[in-house]
Amino acid sequence: MRIRALALLGILAGVCLLLLTLQMRGHASGASDALAIFTTPVQTVVSRVNRTAFGLWSTYQDWKNVRAENRRLRDEAQRLRVESLRVSEVDEENRRLRRLLQLKEALPLETISGEIIGREWGGWVRSLTVNRGRSSRVLRLTAVIGPDGLIGRIVDVRGGSSVVQVLSDPASTVGAHVVRTRTPGIIEGEARGTIRFKYMARDGAGIQVGDMVVTSGLGGLFPRGIPIGRVRGIEDRGSALFHYAQIVPAVDFARIDEVLLVTGDATRDVAAQFPGAS
Amino acid sequence: MRTFLAVAVLSGGVAHATMGPAVRIADVAPDIPLIVVVMLALRRGPEFGCGAGFLAGLLQDAATGGLLGVQALTKSVIGFGVGALAGRLRVSQPLVQVPGLVVLSLVEGVARFALLQLFHFPAPFGELMTYVVLPQAIYNGFLGAALVLALSWAESARERAS
Repeated sequence: MRIRALALLGILAGVCLLLLTLQMRGHASGASDALAIFTTPVQTVVSRVNRTAFGLWSTYQDWKNVRAENRRLRDEAQRLRVESLRVSEVDEENRRLRRLLQLKEALPLETISGEIIGREWGGWVRSLTVNRGRSSRVLRLTAVIGPDGLIGRIVDVRGGSSVVQVLSDPASTVGAHVVRTRTPGIIEGEARGTIRFKYMARDGAGIQVGDMVVTSGLGGLFPRGIPIGRVRGIEDRGSALFHYAQIVPAVDFARIDEVLLVTGDATRDVAAQFPGAS
Repeated sequence: MRTFLAVAVLSGGVAHATMGPAVRIADVAPDIPLIVVVMLALRRGPEFGCGAGFLAGLLQDAATGGLLGVQALTKSVIGFGVGALAGRLRVSQPLVQVPGLVVLSLVEGVARFALLQLFHFPAPFGELMTYVVLPQAIYNGFLGAALVLALSWAESARERAS
């Protein structure tokens, strides 16, 4: 057994040395050709297997890379989207607060700012909850305004918050007049969430669509000249005593976030501080 | 036996050609046919190891386009030597397998270099050993030990199943 193994080693070593000698003496092509008869098919197979395996491996790697890249990009897009939303939200809030501050500084009234912390939009009642209450010396019937115009009045004061009855509440009524014609009337809320201007027929002949309606200041509850809205349409009720004009509110009650509460004397005319009130 | 030899050697060649580039670390690829030859020689003895080494080496020589017979000779000698010493070696421990394969790879590298000197191979010995032979020997050691462990685990699992 051992001798056979040694003999095999000797033979194989001899073959190798013979091959090397042939190659040293320039007969490499013959040896290579002879061997190629056996090795070429094997190499072809190996090469094909190699190519297939590498193709599969490379496809798998590509797939893995694309998947990882896809996941990374998706996460990044998500993060950037959130960041963008946050930035635009902060930007928007900043813009709103700046407008409110400008109004607060411009108004010849004593006011405190408040933030809307709740909304009741069921239809029966339309109200906002603001984070100012007795602790901020807020009183019932305090006028609540925004940079665009009148929002409503405080109807319930609590410790740290108050409930604002907005103009579109069905129970809301506010004295007003049309700026261009000086036609007096009352702004009433409607159950469907809109507001209308109720005026005496004999006074309202000249009212037109687009006319601005502002607070009249009568009664001393609301300062005079705060924008309420613009006339959208007129309901001609023929010989009825009162006619109605549909009003588009100056303030979007559903979207307002910051407000001013008029805490001091409310008998001043503030029309000059609202560019749209004329 | 011949079929097994052919399949084993061919598998080593295919693995070397396919997996070699994929498992390359820092541009060092293992010599998978050498590992296969050593494993075959340990299990089947010097005759088988010698034949496997010759075929695997010849296949590598032919595949790489180098001098025919260099790796065939070194690997057949390695196969024979390992096969002859298999009974005296305790190769079941990784602490033996890793250095064993490293040493065998170094021996194979030195033998190959010595043979190539006959053909005025230009690369300096130190550089070749530092950057080619030694890193590959270390890689061979760890990969071979892992393969030996995997094989023995598979065998014990098969025995348990039967």
